[in-house]
Amino acid sequence: MGNKIFVFLWAMILLSSCHEVEEWENTPKGNFDALWTVIDEHYCFFEEKGVDWDAMYRKYSLKAKNTLTDEELFLVCAEMLDELKDGHTNLSASFNTSYYRKWWSDYPQNYDARLIQEHYFNFNYRSLNDVDYGILPDNIGYIHYGSFVYGLGEGNIDHILAYLATCESLIIDVRNNGGGNLTNVEPLVRRFITEPILAGYISHKTGPGHEDFSEPYAYYYDPAEKGRIMWGKPIVVLTNRSTYSAANDFVSVMKNLPNVTIVGATTGGGCGMPFSSELPCGWAVRFSACPMYDANGNLTEMGIEPTEGCAVDMDPSAILSGHDTILDFAIDYLTTQN
Amino acid sequence: MKLMANNAYSKLPIEIVAMSKHKIILLLLFIAVSIDIKAIEQDSLQVEPLRPVASAYMLEFGGSRINDTYLTPLKYTGWMAGFQYERMQAMKFNPEKWVMRLSAGVEIDRTQNPAKNADMWYLGLDASWGMMHRWRLGHEITIGAGGSTSLDIGCLYSTRNGNNPASAKAAWTVNATGYVAWNFSIGCLPITVKYQPTLPVTGVFFSPDYGELYYEIYLGNDDGLAHVAWWGNYFAMDNLLTADLHLSNTCLRIGYRNQLLSTKVNDIVTRMTIHSVVLGVSGEWISVSSRKGLNPSARLISALY
Repeated sequence: MGNKIFVFLWAMILLSSCHEVEEWENTPKGNFDALWTVIDEHYCFFEEKGVDWDAMYRKYSLKAKNTLTDEELFLVCAEMLDELKDGHTNLSASFNTSYYRKWWSDYPQNYDARLIQEHYFNFNYRSLNDVDYGILPDNIGYIHYGSFVYGLGEGNIDHILAYLATCESLIIDVRNNGGGNLTNVEPLVRRFITEPILAGYISHKTGPGHEDFSEPYAYYYDPAEKGRIMWGKPIVVLTNRSTYSAANDFVSVMKNLPNVTIVGATTGGGCGMPFSSELPCGWAVRFSACPMYDANGNLTEMGIEPTEGCAVDMDPSAILSGHDTILDFAIDYLTTQN
Repeated sequence: MKLMANNAYSKLPIEIVAMSKHKIILLLLFIAVSIDIKAIEQDSLQVEPLRPVASAYMLEFGGSRINDTYLTPLKYTGWMAGFQYERMQAMKFNPEKWVMRLSAGVEIDRTQNPAKNADMWYLGLDASWGMMHRWRLGHEITIGAGGSTSLDIGCLYSTRNGNNPASAKAAWTVNATGYVAWNFSIGCLPITVKYQPTLPVTGVFFSPDYGELYYEIYLGNDDGLAHVAWWGNYFAMDNLLTADLHLSNTCLRIGYRNQLLSTKVNDIVTRMTIHSVVLGVSGEWISVSSRKGLNPSARLISALY
């Protein structure tokens, strides 16, 4: 009987001890290893970006010596993360946050808020949260949605669409919209559809292996409920390279609607929903973890191209004369279409 | 009682008429005494025994260590505070041998990462009901063993995480449980010491997939969220050691509680360990109907001993 109890207790201890968690020392080497492992087990775009993460370990671990200061270690870690070429990947310490900026800094900005506010609205426009809106010449409604961090309530959207209801068409400008909450995308899209639509797919990692992914899960958007103000007239969505993350998702959904045209430059991408983690020294790390696909099953991490024939950059010389050539293209497009 | 005796007498066989008077008188006396004793026993059994409720209200304060790899690979440490209500009572169908235990509680933990620059909170609710068979071993020692079922729900919340700030916890379990109670006195102070372990054996618990965002669940993907619990993927244990100091009709309860939860599912490991001091009041109470009052011949069957 005594032996049975001993075996029972031993089995219990053994089973619970299986749930071990890898630990790292709070040293430069330990923190580097922790960072490399967190990314190794959770990052979702190694294959798409052609990154050999084991090779990155070999390359950067040599630099991560225990003699490094915090600032020096930070630079080594940030340099390694930059290899992912991912705008959703950051390392945050108390003295700095790393960003991979080339996804937008290598491209023309293609947006100047002041130019539009001054030369198209004479500073006479409405603002609501991070949204500016007004009516352009030729009776075209204009909405600049600056960030999906801030959501619009259903009542807010009603007010905006009611104000623009007499317009013949609508321009939704999401240039420089770096994203925010995906849940703020749906309320706006719901005003432009009359029946449920396939919005896209979402997937997630099912284990620490680089190939461990779930089957993409389809998600749908429903039209706004009865009584809400809807919009069924032509829409042009303006994009630039800084249209990123949730704004990129907004463009991917809008691009599949029949009366919508995408004008401007290829978006910045950022279709990997980011996860957060941390290192023993207290630094926070954020990285792409859950890939999202558009309704056609395409990954949009590298950006979404404008509608064919609608790729436009801002002309620097036109800026001097008060013209946003992307906005001008959209106005011409809508007036000639109508 | 008389009615029972007369009825019994009327059923005596005819043959006794032929016996001698002395023998008949002796026999009648014997039967009368026998019937009387049996009647008393039956009467006593028919009076419903009093089953006082042993209740305890406990505050818990202690240390907490939490590790949830969905949120962070690091171990967080800090404090916990909780409140527990416990109710035990002998069961109606066999009060001498079976007791029930009901408990419910709430717990809050605040922990920090090793660098002390990030917080993780835990808020949990639990409820449990169980039945135990008990044995009185003598020397004022009673032991009980049985089963219970529990519902635990809670949420870990990391203040620094963006899209994965929370890790929800929910489990319905079937448990092995028991207790050992020992009554003794120190001087003129009666004390009841009780140790009460609970060990979930199986059940169902919730976990998202390895890298699954709650946003995906919000979108409607509820596949693979429920998992059958066994010791390989869900190991938990609750150890409660209390001493009730019978200061008056109400006892002061002091004690120690250890809670361990260790799960591993979908390559997500959660470990929570709590050591806490228990401080509370306890006592045995009887509800008395103002109309019926107390039956003085009713036996009192304690929930604990």
